Amino acid sequence: MRRLFLSATVLFWLAVSGAWLGARLQPPLAPPAAPAEARYTLDEIARHDRAEDCWMAIDGVVYELTAYLPEHPSSLRVIAEWCGREASEAYHTKTRGRPHSPYADSLLPAWRIGVVS
Amino acid sequence: MSAAPAALRRGGSLVAAPAVLLALLAACLGWAWPAELGGWRALSIVCAWAGTALLAGSLLLMVRAARLAALFGGLDAQYRWHHRSGTVAYVLLLAHPLTLAADAWAESPVRAWQVLAPWAQHWTVWLGWLALLLLMAGLAATFSLHLPYRRWRALHYLAGAGVVTGLIHVWALLGEAGPLWLLLPLAALALGWRLLGSDLGLAARPYRVRSVVPHAAGLIEAVLEPCGPRMAVTPGQFVFAAFGDGAHFHGCGEFHPFTVSGIGADGALAVGIKALGPCSRHVQALEPGVTVRLEGPFGGFLAERAAGPQLWLAGGVGITPFMAALRAGPLTQPTTLLYFHRSAQDAAYLDELRQLAAADPLLTLVSEAADGPPPMLAARLAEVPGLAGRSAQLCGPAPLIQAARDALLRHGMPAAAIHFELFDFR
Ligand SMILES: Cc1cc2nc3c(=O)[nH]c(=O)nc-3n(C[C@H](O)[C@H](O)[C@H](O)COP(=O)(O)OP(=O)(O)OC[C@H]3O[C@@H](n4cnc5c(N)ncnc54)[C@H](O)[C@@H]3O)c2cc1C
Ligand code: HEM
Repeated sequence: MRRLFLSATVLFWLAVSGAWLGARLQPPLAPPAAPAEARYTLDEIARHDRAEDCWMAIDGVVYELTAYLPEHPSSLRVIAEWCGREASEAYHTKTRGRPHSPYADSLLPAWRIGVVS
Repeated sequence: MSAAPAALRRGGSLVAAPAVLLALLAACLGWAWPAELGGWRALSIVCAWAGTALLAGSLLLMVRAARLAALFGGLDAQYRWHHRSGTVAYVLLLAHPLTLAADAWAESPVRAWQVLAPWAQHWTVWLGWLALLLLMAGLAATFSLHLPYRRWRALHYLAGAGVVTGLIHVWALLGEAGPLWLLLPLAALALGWRLLGSDLGLAARPYRVRSVVPHAAGLIEAVLEPCGPRMAVTPGQFVFAAFGDGAHFHGCGEFHPFTVSGIGADGALAVGIKALGPCSRHVQALEPGVTVRLEGPFGGFLAERAAGPQLWLAGGVGITPFMAALRAGPLTQPTTLLYFHRSAQDAAYLDELRQLAAADPLLTLVSEAADGPPPMLAARLAEVPGLAGRSAQLCGPAPLIQAARDALLRHGMPAAAIHFELFDFR
């Protein structure tokens, strides 16, 4: 047990240092070219209100989250409820008054498809 | 440290502890199984829940209560599973953030580092880190054998704090209780029992010191009489004792395990206490009238004695369980007792043992002074008639037990016939 504890602990810190080094060594990402953004009305967004076809408006930006839903930490039901809706409030309070993390913020832009008109 | 049949005879089972752990695992993984996820993410969640379930189980197996210990086949077997489940849980929980990062690594190493770096994250994840670091510190102390016992135990509690912090991390992330309905009360009960029931002694029974007799250099024997309901103890079992105050004596108040060395018909229990550290040295000044709180009884050493001839081997204060058995009445099987002690002044109970041997034709006593594992151990064992056909009961310091076990195996004694008790749980 002692040996298991020691080797697992050493491997853990090696892996954490590896992730840190990997992040340091990666060249910064080129900022994506900004295409002319599509504009959607809330009515249009409301048509995509299912887990299989899920748009959300958060802080004036429209996201197509269909492909992301299965990856969300909490159960599918919690987030799918917000499909087709203005979800800024829910995003910032996470239903229980906790905002999402900077990590979550960094995930969102990948799913951006336009802005609310 | 006795073998399976003894545990079964006492109504407990050696598979009870792994069965409880498996049930907790199944409950948590059944609830949280990430069916709609795949890859590293799914692995991370499985590791997280498996680790959480085992941590809660490990906490349950830390509870020191006579009934529970009997259910799990003895306190030593229970503690062995406590160690195993805690360590395996820790390894699984180390894998949990790493596999989460591995999932993000596919996207980019920067993303992977963001998953791990607490400052890029929310307080729920800080709690995860805090829990892991507490577990790490607690376990590091657990595995440092050279720490003094009191510091060792204080640091070991860090691991308990890690479990609680980890459970709060899960609750905060989950946003609902889920399996925590099971795990949180379990953890609270286990820690509560440990702190209030065991360490403060609310679950202990009141006894009083009737007499104190010095038996050798740095070894006293105290007879304790019950002030209320008495415990049913059999030879080979031990109790946890905390000595309180008397007219001139102030006990250290901590619970320490001592093997019962004699069981009176009136429910009185004798314990032989050797000065092995601060508290047991202090107890050498014990006086009649001091109050004692006892918990137990625990253990099943000597419970399984096969019908055939016996080999008993005692080192130093490890003679106490054999004293209880010999004082309980004449033997029913031919028994050779090898008793090793450091020097003549250290040989506790030797006169009484000689009288017992003279009165009981079935008992052969061999006593010898030696410092450390006796050089003559192999020779003494070889002189025991029909050695390989006996069943062995060993009690003493770990190096002596190890040397004796090896020698007995070499002499052809089957491993299942060798039973032993160590005076340390670490
Ligand atoms: C099953 C069992 C039976 C025992 N029977 C006897 C006996 O019959 N006679 C006897 O003199 N001694 C017996 N001991 C040993 C005795 O418990 C220790 O010597 C005593 O607790 C030492 O405490 P201390 O404060 O004096 O010394 P410390 O320096 O604090 O401890 C010395 C060693 O004892 C162990 N220890 C201390 N406190 C505890 C505790 N609360 N629980 C478990 N281990 C502890 C530690 O491993 C430590 O390294 C037994 C121990 C065990 C586990
Ligand atoms: C370095 C330490 C830790 C970090 C960075 C961390 C991070 C995270 C993150 C980000 C999640 C959400 C992941 C997802 O659902 O995809 C999570 C979930 C989880 N964590 Fe941790 N964690 C850590 C330590 C722990 C510890 C010590 C425990 C043990 C109690 C634990 C138990 C869990 C469990 C059970 C879940 C799943 C909750 C669910 O089903 O949604 N974690 N952790």
